[in-house]
Amino acid sequence: MSAGTQEYQAVFAGKPRAQLEEVLTRYPTKQAALLPALWLVQRERGWISDRSMTEVAEVLGLTPAYVKGVVTFYTMYHQHPVGRNFVQICTTSPCNLCGAEDVVRAMLEHTGAKDLGATSSDGQWTVIEVECLGACGFATPMLINDDFIESVTPERVAELVKKYR
Amino acid sequence: MADGVINLTIDGVPVSVPSGTLVIEAAKQAGVLVPHYCYHPGLPVAGVCRMCLVEIEKAPKLQIACATAVTEGMVVKTQSSQAKSARQSVLEFLLINHPLDCPICDQAGECELQDFVFQEGRASTRYGEYPKRFNPVEDFGPDVLYVPNRCILCTRCVRFMEDVAQEPVLNVSERGDRAYIGIHPDARLDHPWAGNVVDLCPVGSLLSKDFLHKARAWEVDKSASVCTGCTQGCNVTLDVRDNVIVRVRPRPNLEVNRYFLCDHGRMNYRWMNRGDRIEAPLVKQDGELRAVDWDEALDRARRLLRGAGGGPGGGGKAVAIVSPKASTEALFLARRVLAGFAWTGAFQVTMGEEAPLAGVPNLALRPERAANVTGAELLGYVNGVSSALNLAQAAAVVLVLDEPDVPAPGAGALIYLGTTLPESARGAEVVLPIANMAEEEGTFVNRDGRVQRYFQAKSAPGMARPAWWALGELLDTPAAERPDSAAAAFDLLAGTVEGFAGLSYDALGLTGKRMGQGAGVPA
Amino acid sequence: MGYPHKPHAKETVVLSKHFGDPEARTYKGWVRRGGYDTLHKALATDPAAIIEEVKASGLRGRGGAGFPTGLKWSFMPKEKKKPHYLCVNADESEPGTFKDREIMRWTPHALLEGTAIAAHAIRAEVAYIYVRGEFTEPLAILEKALAEASTAGVFGGIKIYLHRGAGAYICGEETALMNSIEGKRGNPRIKPPFPAASGVFGMPTTINNVETLVAVPPILKNGAAWYKAMSLSNPKSTGTKLFSVCGHIAKPGNYEVTMGFPLKDLLYELSGGMRPGRTLKACIPGGSSVPILNREESESCLLDYEGCVERGTMLGSGGVIVFDDTADMVYQIMRLARFYAHESCAQCTQCREGTAWTTRILERILTGQGATKDLDLLLDLADNMTGKTICVLSDSCAAPVVSGIKKFKSEFEAYIAGKKRPVAA
Repeated sequence: MSAGTQEYQAVFAGKPRAQLEEVLTRYPTKQAALLPALWLVQRERGWISDRSMTEVAEVLGLTPAYVKGVVTFYTMYHQHPVGRNFVQICTTSPCNLCGAEDVVRAMLEHTGAKDLGATSSDGQWTVIEVECLGACGFATPMLINDDFIESVTPERVAELVKKYR
Repeated sequence: MADGVINLTIDGVPVSVPSGTLVIEAAKQAGVLVPHYCYHPGLPVAGVCRMCLVEIEKAPKLQIACATAVTEGMVVKTQSSQAKSARQSVLEFLLINHPLDCPICDQAGECELQDFVFQEGRASTRYGEYPKRFNPVEDFGPDVLYVPNRCILCTRCVRFMEDVAQEPVLNVSERGDRAYIGIHPDARLDHPWAGNVVDLCPVGSLLSKDFLHKARAWEVDKSASVCTGCTQGCNVTLDVRDNVIVRVRPRPNLEVNRYFLCDHGRMNYRWMNRGDRIEAPLVKQDGELRAVDWDEALDRARRLLRGAGGGPGGGGKAVAIVSPKASTEALFLARRVLAGFAWTGAFQVTMGEEAPLAGVPNLALRPERAANVTGAELLGYVNGVSSALNLAQAAAVVLVLDEPDVPAPGAGALIYLGTTLPESARGAEVVLPIANMAEEEGTFVNRDGRVQRYFQAKSAPGMARPAWWALGELLDTPAAERPDSAAAAFDLLAGTVEGFAGLSYDALGLTGKRMGQGAGVPA
Repeated sequence: MGYPHKPHAKETVVLSKHFGDPEARTYKGWVRRGGYDTLHKALATDPAAIIEEVKASGLRGRGGAGFPTGLKWSFMPKEKKKPHYLCVNADESEPGTFKDREIMRWTPHALLEGTAIAAHAIRAEVAYIYVRGEFTEPLAILEKALAEASTAGVFGGIKIYLHRGAGAYICGEETALMNSIEGKRGNPRIKPPFPAASGVFGMPTTINNVETLVAVPPILKNGAAWYKAMSLSNPKSTGTKLFSVCGHIAKPGNYEVTMGFPLKDLLYELSGGMRPGRTLKACIPGGSSVPILNREESESCLLDYEGCVERGTMLGSGGVIVFDDTADMVYQIMRLARFYAHESCAQCTQCREGTAWTTRILERILTGQGATKDLDLLLDLADNMTGKTICVLSDSCAAPVVSGIKKFKSEFEAYIAGKKRPVAA
């Protein structure tokens, strides 16, 4: 869906607007609400488009370029649409030692996403490798959307995929 | 030692600097240039390129000279083996993804990466055959191209837009070695002062479209000059290749324009290269303008002035219409030429939008788009030509100094000094071909009463001569008393006109001097 | 090890006392366990006295640097002219480390209590807890706990807010963390100015790690002398520390031991030793940023700040990564270098280019295309990446490379000589 072909619907109306207003009370500057505001956009839209960055900039008194510089710094903000289930699998050293790469392979296979970063043809799954998820003692951890799942083994993958499909 | 003064040693050279001075600035006083990229005195310190690492005695590790303040007794070594090796390593890191396309890069010859690598880099890389990072060239704005492959991410451009222009239209995008200078797709780098990012870029990553492939850096001659674009009087350098101005860049002057120049001023040079110039003096013969030599033309003009009542006790009426871009010397001598008349002088000035540079107090592209409005006013010329044009109807002589845009004035004899021959000058008795500002030297007075010199950058065409010379020749004084240089003309002015008193041409130097207070200078 | 699990007899359970106890997560449950008592008392105590007590306890920062906590607090301006801020570093992202996550999951109120006490001690009205974006579960638990405790009004005039990160290891660096709170890229700042002079929003700020702050209520409750007495080796290292054990180990998990505890016992007794039939090859005791120890060094290392330095490494964050004899050290070091290359903020030249170049060389060695001179090159790059940048991310990339080449050179040489099957990197 291209942002240019349809009338843009503002994110910050109604409930998200009220939530942003509450967030703004936490900080002495409007700019400090940028990360929370971007989280709200991603929650509402699934990703953060250039047009949404412009909206955030307008709301917080920043420039779109500034917002884009920040968005591109933080890897959890999606600059493109992703599958309905977004899977982040830790493959940093400690998890790697415990077989994280086999989990990735199993996940790609069972979801049909095939390649890392690609979205499965049914639009259901996007799988990426991420650096350390901070749960090294529970290898292999992964995030499916906002659900943090510990100790995933290749054997557990089929059941997980079924649950989220 | 006085309070607030710090004594330190840099590469064995003792220096004393105000407390709070950064090591990199103190080093300049010791005659030491610490190689650097991200540091720029006109921008907030970033401390990211790590090129200016120096050894400081007693410090546990190398320090960056751009973010370290001097302390009493500090001993700085920029040439220690540790410091040199650290810088060599930074250079090697900067080059691993650099395309090394100097032969086709506009920056070559004035590139700080090229210079420092040549000075202290490794003879060859150890990067091996890994692919280099590649990103396509991007069109950032009306005059700026971004070549990401050459970028060393010093962030000077980002900081300029953020902190000086205060319109953060550029960013650093992504992280690690994937990072590049980014812009939002809906935004353009079209701020009125945006062109400064090209000068600030230490490498060939941000390029001026206007200058693109026009000249190699070593082909241009550089002359100190002053921008004619408005009354701010920004100090500039005119770059000339084969007698053609190819580029205008800011020249630092902390009291006028710091390190910056607006895009209007930057692009305001094409007229200096006009080809349709008057190349010989012209006098009216049988209703036609005919080319003659200078002696004949000057003789004709002098006789004309005397006959019109310009001699001692003559008391005739004269009108001078002058360009507010003319030198102070020419404006002064034009007035002096008409001194015997009951005279009126006037000028007109094109107006435009003011465009301030937000982060620098008292720096803007001013609405009056001419360099010497203040000089003209100080010398008695009034802003607005309509009443002068009315008076010209009854004047015995009308002198026009390079102002093509007023209608052919009056019934009196017209003496026209100009660079080109507009329709309005075709009825002149005498036309004197003069040099444009790039072809002469002289001074302008900026809006704050700062008298600033500009230097000759190129030669004038044909027989054209500086206006101060032509006007000097028209003075009704013995030849020996006529000024024989712009300097002599200025010193004559300084000795005559209140407000300029005490100034001397030589002492104006490269950055000018403020006129004495209370000289009727507009605030 | 997942919770609930019974503490090992050799553990000294202070911070982890309520791990695995879901009731401790609730406000009522926490109060029933004696929670918030110390806070009530602290709020009525002169901040200077609290700082003295914490100084006397010998508590040092548990985020990695080990700076004395009381001393850090004392750097805040004596005369308060501007708002003071406390930032809590819950951006736990150091590979091998997962202790703060456990604290937040099981004892959110312990963190809130420690946070409020610290805020009071440094006279801050506002505290931001910066939780890494990936910690969805700890964040939800903290949100609930914060709401309950705020409703109960236990924080006096102190306001505590949660600030969610969004995927950037470097935001665990204190100045980057402050930039991130301010809505900026998480770029570390040059120092000076130091945070106590000009921190978040340009105001005097103290930044403390989660584990550091949860140690504060027990210190105030039981006294500095009690805490200081917990020291098995060097008296400069006091109290208990959570060690996260992961990698090739039978019972991965968090173990709380007294400072100076032998790494050997942590590995072989508390963590159940190697997997069956395996032997220890190497160990990183303090998170991925510290030098790797070989087996002998590991088995003789005492876990405190000084003991680790004696073995040529650092205590860091206490993330213990274990490698057994099956580990491919070249591959693992490449993974660590890749991590740092991915996380470099892009500011400093050496880090931006050096982490990526280092990764490329290691990848090439793994594919069998390396040359002997690559090892010297890696060491030279590492030297140029150490001690020359704004923060220590590039130093952290260099540490495992240098120690890895020094201690496991034969593994590198095997790839270079074509004696080991190439690995797609």
